[in-house]
Amino acid sequence: MGMLFCFLGAISFGLLGSALKAAERRKADAAGLVVSAYAWPALIMMVRTLLLKSGGHVPTKVYVIAVLFGICAAVASLAFQVSISIGKVTVGWLMMNLSAGVPVVVSVWMYHEKLTILKVVAFGLVLVSIFFLSWGQVIEKRAIASNPAEGE
Amino acid sequence: MWFLLMLVILLTNGMSAFGLKMIAGWGLPETVKYPYLTAWYAGGLAAIALPMLLKGMRVGKTELFWGGVTGALSIGGQIAMAVALSSGVPGHVVFPIAIGGSIFVVALAGRLMFGERMNPPTALGLALGFIAVVLLGAS
Repeated sequence: MGMLFCFLGAISFGLLGSALKAAERRKADAAGLVVSAYAWPALIMMVRTLLLKSGGHVPTKVYVIAVLFGICAAVASLAFQVSISIGKVTVGWLMMNLSAGVPVVVSVWMYHEKLTILKVVAFGLVLVSIFFLSWGQVIEKRAIASNPAEGE
Repeated sequence: MWFLLMLVILLTNGMSAFGLKMIAGWGLPETVKYPYLTAWYAGGLAAIALPMLLKGMRVGKTELFWGGVTGALSIGGQIAMAVALSSGVPGHVVFPIAIGGSIFVVALAGRLMFGERMNPPTALGLALGFIAVVLLGAS
C-alpha cells in the first residue's frame, strides 16, 4: 500500500511539472502563475496557523528565514516558468530536482554532516549531467540559428 | 539567458527548503512549521506580486486556474509521500521514487504532449541527472 502512494506521489509531482508547461502553452503569464500558485497555499497555511492556537512564542528569526527562503522559492518558480518558454520542460524540471544537491552541500559545510560515498557520486553525476545538458542546449541553439523552423 | 535561468533555479530552489533544516537545528517545537510556512509562502507571494502591482499587472483567470491546478497537484504529491512514509516505507525509498518518477513523467509528457525532442548530449545529461537525483534522494 505504501509503495502505491510512492508512485502516486511521483505521478502527482510529474503532472505538476506537465501542468506548468501546459499553462505556458496557454500563454499564462509566468509571474501571474507564480502569484496564483503561492496565494492558495499561503491562504491555507494562514488558516491552519490561526486554527492552531498553540499560543507559543515564535522567534523573529523564524519569520526572517521563512521570508528569505520563500523569496528564494518564488524566484526559482519564476525562473523555471520563464525557462520552459525558451527551453525544454524536462530539462528545467530536472534542474529543479538536481538543486536538491545544494542544501546537501551546505549541510556538510554548516552542520558538518558526513560526506558519504553515495553523496560524492551523486554530486559528481550532477556536475557531469549539467555539463551535458548545457552542451545539448548549445547544439540546439546552433541548430535553431541555422534553421529557425527547428525551434518552432 | 537559458544558462542564467538554470543557475538561478539551481541555487534558489536548492536553498528554498533549507529553512526547515535550520529550524530543526534550533530545536524549536514542531508547531513552529505552520507560522514558518505561512511566512514562507507570503514572502514568496510578496516578492513576485509587489513588482507586478507596481507595474499595474493583474492576475488573470488563466493564471488563477493553472495556479489552482498546480497547487492541488503539489498538495496531492505531498500527501501521497506523507502516507507512504507513515505506512512504513523508508525515506530512502520514498524520495527517490517520488522525485525520480516525477522526472520520468515530465519527460514522457514532454515527448508525447509537447513534442520535445532530445539531442544525444541532452538525453545523456537527462539520464545521468536522473541517476543523480535518485542517489541524492536515497542518501
